[in-house]
This record gives sequence, C-alpha cells and structure tokens, in this order.
Amino acid sequence: MSTKEQRERIELLQGTLDLLILRTLLLGPAHGHAIAKAIAFNSDEVLQVEQGSLYPALHRLIKRRWISVEEGTSVNNRRAKFYRLTPKGRRQLAVETSKWDELAGAIARILRPAE
Amino acid sequence: MSRRKRMLGDLDEDIREHIAMETQDNIEGGMSPEDARYAALRKFGNVTQVKEDTRAVWSMVWLEGLLQDVRYGLRMLYKDPGFTAAAIIALALGIGANTALFSVVNGVLLRPLPYRDPNGLAVISLLNSKTREVFPLCDADFLDWRAQNQSFTAVTAFFHNRFNLTGSGRPEQMFGDMVTADFFSILDVPPVLGRTFLPNEDRRGSPNVAILSYRLWQNRYGSNPNVIGQGIVLNGSTYTVIGVMPPRFLSSPETQLWTNLVIDPPSRRGPYYLTGEGRLKPGVTLDQARAELATIAQRIHQLNPGTNVNMTIRAVPLEEAIVGDVRPALLVLLGAVAFVLLIASANVANMILARASVREREFAIRGALGASRARLAVQLLTESGLLAGLGGIFGLGLAWCGVQLLLDLAPATLPRLEEVGLDGRVLAFTTVISLASGILFGLGPALGGGRNAMNNSLKEGGRSQAQSTRSNRARRVLVVVEVALSLVLLIGGGLMLKSFHRLQNVNPGVDVENALTMQISLPERQYDDSRSIAFYRRLLDKLQTLPAVDSAAVGMALPPNLLDVNDNFMVEGQAETSDRNLGLADLVFVSPDYFRALGVPVVKGRSFNDGDRADAPKVAIINQTLAKRYWPNQNPIGKRLKTGGPERPKNPWMEIVGVVGDVKYSGLDAAPEMVLYEPYEQSAWLSMYLVVRTSSRLGDPGELASAVQNAVWSFDKDVPVAHVRTLEQLLSESVEQPRFRTVLLEIFAFIALSLAAVGIYGVLAYSVTQCRQEIGIRMALGARRSDVFALVVGQGMVLALIGLAIGLAGAFALARFLSSLLYSVRPTDPATFAAVSLLLAAVAFLSCYIPARRAMRVDPMVALRYE
Repeated sequence: MSTKEQRERIELLQGTLDLLILRTLLLGPAHGHAIAKAIAFNSDEVLQVEQGSLYPALHRLIKRRWISVEEGTSVNNRRAKFYRLTPKGRRQLAVETSKWDELAGAIARILRPAE
Repeated sequence: MSRRKRMLGDLDEDIREHIAMETQDNIEGGMSPEDARYAALRKFGNVTQVKEDTRAVWSMVWLEGLLQDVRYGLRMLYKDPGFTAAAIIALALGIGANTALFSVVNGVLLRPLPYRDPNGLAVISLLNSKTREVFPLCDADFLDWRAQNQSFTAVTAFFHNRFNLTGSGRPEQMFGDMVTADFFSILDVPPVLGRTFLPNEDRRGSPNVAILSYRLWQNRYGSNPNVIGQGIVLNGSTYTVIGVMPPRFLSSPETQLWTNLVIDPPSRRGPYYLTGEGRLKPGVTLDQARAELATIAQRIHQLNPGTNVNMTIRAVPLEEAIVGDVRPALLVLLGAVAFVLLIASANVANMILARASVREREFAIRGALGASRARLAVQLLTESGLLAGLGGIFGLGLAWCGVQLLLDLAPATLPRLEEVGLDGRVLAFTTVISLASGILFGLGPALGGGRNAMNNSLKEGGRSQAQSTRSNRARRVLVVVEVALSLVLLIGGGLMLKSFHRLQNVNPGVDVENALTMQISLPERQYDDSRSIAFYRRLLDKLQTLPAVDSAAVGMALPPNLLDVNDNFMVEGQAETSDRNLGLADLVFVSPDYFRALGVPVVKGRSFNDGDRADAPKVAIINQTLAKRYWPNQNPIGKRLKTGGPERPKNPWMEIVGVVGDVKYSGLDAAPEMVLYEPYEQSAWLSMYLVVRTSSRLGDPGELASAVQNAVWSFDKDVPVAHVRTLEQLLSESVEQPRFRTVLLEIFAFIALSLAAVGIYGVLAYSVTQCRQEIGIRMALGARRSDVFALVVGQGMVLALIGLAIGLAGAFALARFLSSLLYSVRPTDPATFAAVSLLLAAVAFLSCYIPARRAMRVDPMVALRYE
C-alpha cells in the first residue's frame, strides 16, 4: 500500500516538472541548463528542483515526441543540446495546462470552501 | 532502439556541459572556481542517480509494456484453459516431432564427420559405367591407383573383416577393418592411447599390430591402459595392441578394431574386396581427381585386356559414402514433419481466429479506452508468442522422448546414430521454428483482429457481421490448407505403406519358419581345408542327433542379405562376350542338407549328397535365373562351368547336377541374381552360416541356440558363435530401414489427419453456434431437419473437397521425391491416390457429422429467443 502511494506521489511530481518544461519551451528552444534556470527564475526561486532531475524528464518528453532535440552552441559558445517543443507537445501542453487548472481549482475549493 | 541509443549516447557529455555552465554562472556571480564547481554539483544532485533515472526512462517503458502484455496474455490463456491446452498440444506435437527428427538429421547428415577436414576425404571404388553397379577394388587396382595418382596426398585401402577374438575371456566374434598404414594419417585423428600405424606397417614382413576402438577397450579390457603392448589373438594369430582410438572415431557402427593390412603385389586381378580412401591434395577438386582416376582406369584396362571391362574408378566424398543412402529418406521425413507443423500452425491460427471473434467486444472496449490498433496487434502477437513459447517448451520435452523412441526404433544399420542427440543446434532449431510458427499463426489474426474492432462491435451489441464474415473466410481457407497438406502427407504414407507391404511379401525363396541360424568362423591358423571340412562335418552330424532337429546345414550365404562372395564364371562352350556382362554369380559353398534346411526347392536334378567329397568329381548346382540366362530352352544338367575366366586356367570344370529355386541373397528388393552353389567339401571355407531346422514348431530359439553353441564348443572352445537369429528375424531385420521410415511417415500422416479433422470440426462447430438464429429461422419457415443436416455437412464437405483437389495436385507434384524410397509402387499409384482421398473424405465427413447433428437438434423457438 505504501509503495503505491509513493509511486503516485512521484508520478505527480514528474508530471508537474514535465508541464513546467513544456511551458518553458513554449517561449523557444533552450538547452538544459537554461531550462533549469528559467524555471527557477520564473517561479521567483520558489521551485528549487535538483537540476539533475530535469534530465529524466527531458528524455521522457523526447520519447513521447513532445519535444525534439537539436545540436547547437550556447550563448557563451559552448556546445549544447537544444530542446524544442513539437506540435504534438504544444497540444499536450494545452491539455496538461487545463488539467492543472482544474486540479488547482479543485484543491483551492477544498482548501478554502467558504469563500 | 536506435533512437534510445542515440539519445543516451552523449548523456555524460550533456551533464558535464550542464555542470560547466552552472559553474561558469557561479564564477560570474563572484565565487571562487572551486566553490563554484562545488555549488554547481550540489545543485545538480546525484549524477549517477540522474543517469540511471534517465536510462530507465528509455528501458522501462518497452520492458514494462512487454511484461504487461505477457502478464495479460498469460491471464487470458489461463482464463481459457480449453483453448490453451488444445493450442499447446497441437504446437507441442508439431514442434516436438520436428525437433526430434531434426536431431536425427543433425546427427546423421549435418554434424561434420569426426575427422580433420572431412571435406577433403574421398572414397574410391570401381563403377561399371554400363550398369552403374559399384564394386570394390582388387589389390592390383589399389596398387596401380596408389602409384599413378597425382591428386591425393595419401591413399589407403581397407576391408571390413570378421575377427575371432580369443585368448583371455570368452571367444568373441567381431567386425574390424583391415587397413593399410595410411588409413589413420588420412583421417588424421590422434589416438587416445598409444599410437597409430607407422608408414611401413603394411609392407611384407611387418609384425601384426592392432588398434582398439574405445568401446572394445572399455568393454573387454576395462579401460586398462596397460593393454598397449599386450598381445591379443585374432583369427588364431597374435597381434600386438598399439593404440586406442577416441570414442567418436567410428568408421562403421560395428567396427571394433583395426589391424594392419599387408598388400602383396598380386599375381592376378581379383578378388575384388577393397575399399579405397584418399585425402585430396590442397587445391585439387574432386572433379579434377575424378578426371585423373578415369585416365588411370582406362590405362589399367588397356594394359590388362579382358579385365575391368567397362570399369571406371568412382570417387565420392566420404560423407556421401557414409550417409548418401539414407539422405533421401531423412529429407523426405523432414519435409513430411514440416508439413505437420504447418498443419498444427494452421490449426492454432484457426482457433485464435475463432477466439478473436468472441473477443471482439474486449478489443472494442480496449480500443475505446485508447489502445491503438498497433497496441492491440502487439498484444495479440504476444499471446501467440506465449503459445508458441509454451508449445516449444512442451515440444522440446516431447522431442526428448521422441529422440529416445527414434533411437530405439531406428535400424542399427542407420549410420552415425551415436551422434544423434539434443545439442545446441537442435535447440536453436526448436527456438526458430517455435518463433516462426508463432508469427505464422499469430500475425494474420493480429492484423485482422485489431482492424475494425472499434467501429462496429460496441454499436451492434457484439455482433459485427463484416468482421465475422472476414474471419470466417480466413478460417475456411485455413481448413482447405490443412486438408490439402494432410492429403499430401497421407498419400506419401499410403505409398510407403503399400511399398513396404509389397517388400514384406516378396518371396525370399526359402521357408522362413522354424529355422535358427548363426554364424561360425574358424581361425585360419588352426584350420586348413581338410580340418575345417572335418569340423563342420562332425558338427553337423552331432547337431543332427539333437532332439527336435529336422536338418542342419552350413552355407556361405543366407537369405535375405547375408552374401559374402561373388565371382565371375565361364560356361563350357559358350564364349564370354564382354558386353553381355553376365558372368558374375553369387558364390555359395554349402553342405548337402543346405537346401532342405532352408526349404529351397530342387527344381531339376539332385541336391548335393555325402558322395560329393573332395576327391569326387567336381559338381555344382545353379539357380533358376542362371539356368534361364545360359540355357534358355535346354536342360542344364550335365553341362559344365567353372569359376574365374581364362586368367585362372587351373580352376576345374564342374558338372551341373541340379537346379534349385531362386533365393534372395542381396536384399528382398534386389533383382534376381545368378547363384552358383558348390559342395563345401570340394571348396572349403572357414566362415559359415549354420541353419538348423526344427521338426516341430520352434518355440524358444534361445534353448536350441545354447544347445548348438555347446555342440560347437565341445569340438573347439575357442570358436565363437555369433549373430544368432531365427530366419524370420533375419528377414525382419533386413527391412529395418524401410520399416523405420514407413512407421515414421505413418505417424506423421496420422497426426496430420487428426489435426485436419479437428480443424474441420472446429470451423463447423463454431459456424453452427454462430448461425443458430439463421438455422432457427429456416426451421421455423419449414426447413426439415435433414435439410439443415445437409446444409451443414455440405458446408464442411465443400471445404474438404477443395482441399482434396489442391492436395491431389500437390501430392502429384511432390510424390516423385518418394520414388527412390518405393519398392515396386509408382509414386503416382492411382489406387493409393484414390484410397487415401476416400479415407480423408470419410474422416472429413465424420468431422462434419457431429456439428451437423447439433445443428439438426436446434430448437427454433430457443434459437430465435437467443440474444
């Protein structure tokens, strides 16, 4: 029972990270380090995920063909991989975003019922 | 897979770059390089863990998907035990039979011979270019060949000989090869103990030396290494043991030892008894060697006019010489057993299709829940794969038993039987055919099954007409295929059975009942002509006095296939014309009662009697075939003939005193041969077959055998008695190989027939269930029960008849592969074709009958209310 709960929690976390990556890439292709920085910056440093956990998520998204990869050079002239949102990923972002809104709304209604 | 590899390939570098960038940012933010790097690493987290997690993204999904499919598939199979058991049994039968037979083919035909570079070895013999008959070489042929050839690095000659092993322990008769010195250097296999022959050990005056087979060394000498250097007594002469060969080194299953063969320059050409063997020089092809051998043969013929007429030298690869005779039979059997697997696969495909229509709703729901067509197809393929895998595992078990059964059943004369077993190659074969059959019967249903599952099934409440029609058509086609394939097999089986029946009913020319035979050979050293004559005379006299013995005799040959010697002969007053090629007869020296003991009728003149002694006028008896060829319309009694041609002037003329019936000495399937009998007292011979006919029914041959054995040993305790058989056993053993292949083919044909019957039954039974409503309506509208019966039977029989037609065409095309295995039956024998077709039609009718009866009993009211 406890392992099942644990798995669900991890899945939720993963799903959230996926959503954040997709949202970040909506602004344009970026390399891994830039994505991590953007997530931290745009959340006003609230979401401080371990940067490493980004990579399994990126690969999961590649595998589902929601993002694609291309070789490129970063601003300070280092070789880097750029991740780009695919059309499929764009559609998925819309789905995930509305799901998230629903979830957030539902949780909000439960947490503050009277208002 | 390749995408996964590409993505994971430079993961390390990606991570390194990431950390470097973070470090750079930190340095720009004012940290010292060391702190910056440390902070970057901390922020990144556990690098190893990240790598593992990332890899897991790629690996887990397909693996988990597969596991999920497997788990689901197993659950589905478990939920439908009837279907699962039927499918697995069909597959296990098919795969098991194929694996078992393949292991025989693998051992006999595919595994390389246990010699170095076996492809460079060739067997040499004489070939009559007119009659295509193959003969052994004579000493002179071998010496000429050895001296003149340029194609071989080394050549050897050998012959299979019978040895009496005496001295310590029981006297034992065994077979061994007498070989020239190069025999072992050509095969190039080192002994496990001691040495092989030295190059000069086949020259005149070299000592007698012997090499033991591993089996003999184990069985008789208890694997004692001290046997090297010991003397053993073979045929009365002492041989020194110099080596022991490894277990896999066997030139024929019965060869127990090898002795050195000394070939002296001969005074004449003949007798013909040697087999030649040579190793080709590197770079020389067999065809080049054959061309050279033809030139040598021609030269021999020119230098020795009158001999080797029409004879050329034949060279075949050693492997061909060993297994060439059994290859066609084994390949035909392998083809037949492949048919069995095809039929089994068709059957399972049929069952899966039937099940797929039942499972339509399940697929429709899964489709509606988001499973793609590909996903459903993969699911179905996984289930087929599981079935195939389980079928393969059970099949392997069956094969293991099957191989034991085959080895028990297989004739001892089948070469290389000791190499048969389940090895890596056999396992690979099983895996491949299991997978192949899984794909074969799984792919069609998988592609069809996912097709329009989503469209109609849910809407129509589970009865999608379009889907059912298509899968029904596929199932009908499968039934037609099954019937056609099994007809081909059954016709093959029918032809073999008829051929075997004819072979068994061949008249061997003797009375096979109540006769015991055995083989006795006297050691050359102790027995000269007069002594061996005296020995046999005393033995026969003594046997005659045994109770229950009607007659006892000795002879050099026994039917149906124990013939040792043939020789050419000439008839007084008739010129030998070379192209007639007649003057070759089986030569059989016999004691007076030989014909009586065997039950051979004396057609003209008299049998031999006690008066035909060494000092009496030379006499001979001929068989009817010889009499007809040389004296077509005359009485041969009183005419004279002699063995040998003009090159043996000293051979005496013999007067023909009798003509006896033909006896088969070269196998039941052999054409009639000319036979020349001489009284054994005028032509002594050391090695004789003994025939004892009992006056009453021969109950337990063992008792008589030991009585005879004791009689032999009362004269000489060192004379072994071998090959004790009743005449009936000899006959039965002589047809072991045809019996073996016939029995196997019958088994395969029977399996095929059963599978086809089940297939027809399955399709009809299903279609009757499916059409209950239609049948109900028909009956409600006034159709009689017999109409319904006819309708269902008609449906099934149409399929069977189409299958029969296709099968007949197939059998007609394939039967010619059987022709070399058939005795006096044509491969297109109309009677067999007709009878087997009728049999299959009858079985098909029975398979239709049960579903038709069920259809007949449909109650219209119930059927209409159904659903």
